Amino acid sequence: MSVRDLKGNGRWWALAGCLLWLAFTFFPLYWVAITSFKSPLGVVGGPTYVPFVDFEPTLTAWRELLSGQRGQFYSTFIASTIVGLSASVIATAVGSMAAYALVRFTFEVKLLTGVIFVVVSFGGYLLGRHIAGLGQATSLIYAFVAALALAVGSSRIRLPGPILGNDDIVFWFVSQRMFPPIVAAFALFLMYTEMGKLGFKLVDTYTGLTFAYVAFSLPIVIWLMRDFFAALPIEVEEAAMVDNVPSWRIFFGIVVPMSKPGLIATFMITLAFVWNEFLFALFLTNSRWQTLPILVAGQNSQRGDEWWSISAAALVAIIPMVVMAGLLSRLMRSGLLLGAIK
Amino acid sequence: MRIFVLNGRKINDLFYRVTLLDCCSQHHRCGMTRNDPIKHFFIWPALLIVLIISIFPLIYSLTTSFMSLRLVPPMPPRFVGFGNYAELLQNPRFWHVAWTTTVIAFISVALQYVIGFSVALALNRNVPGEGLFRVSFLLPMLVAPVAVALIARQILNPTMGPLNELMTFFGHPNLPFLTQTRWAIGAIISVEVWQWTPFVMLMLLAGLQTLPDDVYEAAALENASSWQQFWGITFPMMLPISVAVVFIRLIESYKIMDTVFVMTGGGPGISTETLTLFAYQEGFKKFNLGYTSALSFLFLIVITVIGLVYLAILKPYLEKHK
Repeated sequence: MSVRDLKGNGRWWALAGCLLWLAFTFFPLYWVAITSFKSPLGVVGGPTYVPFVDFEPTLTAWRELLSGQRGQFYSTFIASTIVGLSASVIATAVGSMAAYALVRFTFEVKLLTGVIFVVVSFGGYLLGRHIAGLGQATSLIYAFVAALALAVGSSRIRLPGPILGNDDIVFWFVSQRMFPPIVAAFALFLMYTEMGKLGFKLVDTYTGLTFAYVAFSLPIVIWLMRDFFAALPIEVEEAAMVDNVPSWRIFFGIVVPMSKPGLIATFMITLAFVWNEFLFALFLTNSRWQTLPILVAGQNSQRGDEWWSISAAALVAIIPMVVMAGLLSRLMRSGLLLGAIK
Repeated sequence: MRIFVLNGRKINDLFYRVTLLDCCSQHHRCGMTRNDPIKHFFIWPALLIVLIISIFPLIYSLTTSFMSLRLVPPMPPRFVGFGNYAELLQNPRFWHVAWTTTVIAFISVALQYVIGFSVALALNRNVPGEGLFRVSFLLPMLVAPVAVALIARQILNPTMGPLNELMTFFGHPNLPFLTQTRWAIGAIISVEVWQWTPFVMLMLLAGLQTLPDDVYEAAALENASSWQQFWGITFPMMLPISVAVVFIRLIESYKIMDTVFVMTGGGPGISTETLTLFAYQEGFKKFNLGYTSALSFLFLIVITVIGLVYLAILKPYLEKHK
């Protein structure tokens, strides 16, 4: 018996509490599952709980959904899957690399460099837009390139002022999630429309939606993976460094295999976030690349409170995530996040 | 004799750990962080993607927040300086909405933290059936907020819902779960707690699993009660991760939108309207873009102030337990 085990009464109280929470967690999911098998009359007639005892289950809602009477079901499902998987794979890969760099290497950015970037990009945009008379997208691209070049150039020369370290860079990444999503989504829609006028179609395309999702998942990925890499034992990497193994091989050959549970957990969280995201999908897609949450929300607004079909549509959005959680949690057998590296 | 040697090794090990930790907190002089040009190759992809996607919304909304810009009926943009901000700050609706959001965010995050911590403690102590609980407790986090809100509306339906049947059994038929301010806010908070407690639980459980066993063994030798062990060891050692998790949840809760939109639509009246919903109503019902942009910058300021105050309050405790 280890110190971690509960003793005596405490054990049963804890079990009772967990069972209570389990009931609270499961009831809504159970409810939506049985509602999807109810007939319209069965829903309106008041609550019923047990199939075959309380009510006779029917497949009406499912038949309607799968036959396409309730919107483009198949293409929506495929679009959701493709965008979700690729966005979370890219975000996990790119974000882990950045997180690793932020844990193991020293970065120093002068505050003034950041100020130069912001000022030049704002000023360049306003100049291009209101004085040079360029379009929104063109002036944005020019301003961005100029600001980036100046900022990188300025970091080469000696500048006065405070220096920002790794923690500040991480904070900057995480703070990107503080901006209200409504405005970000709308501004992104405007930017994509303007890019479309230049010949790069981004609204309602795979590239546009995936790119937006990768960018908005990165802060979470970096935040999660940073803690994870920081907890890895440094000795293995130091030993490899003594043998002159190049850094990129240390990362891909040693660090990535060691942190598989963390990568899987992060991938799962990112996928759930992308799969369930509503606002960006609403603004950035209209038909071809529409995702499941839009279809689910549409069930309600188009036909009113038809609970049986809303439930079936909601279940289609829920089930893949549940299956994936089951599969992936097996891969992370020995604990959820950090448990595996102890 | 052997025990003595063992103890000696243990102390050495502990000393090694402490110096290592100390060294890591000061990045610059630490031997662990290397300096290698490849670091740029690692960080630039992420940096570029986030910069490209985040800079335009920032520039666009900051510039429009100083303009009067309406799409319907179309009007040429006009520079109004701080007009939008002044108008918002004088609008009682803004203050009301900010207060509602604060109430929802703080109460739901507090509940999430308390419940999440308790469940994580139980799971960490190998409660019977722990394997099953681990997977099933995560499920709510993986469900789309839109779907959650639609399910909640079914359950909370005042005539056909199961909760109504339960309350009728207790002698309170047809309670206005979604149509009376207090009930509606309570309903939104419970949905938030249902959905996001798993996230808090997941993070805290991960933290709990990294706590060293030997401290607890020592405490058990000293006959410290579980209550004393919790407040003396577990809670202080979990403080850094707790602070981070609560911070992330607070920020995300302030952005609450789809749940409220589907469940109550902000009603009755504007009594459950949140900041993002208010921004949505102004921006995409009235197409008042200047006003919406100003609103989102005020929103950003509110969140930043709350975040800074929060970190400032907790900083002495974090330093103390370092």
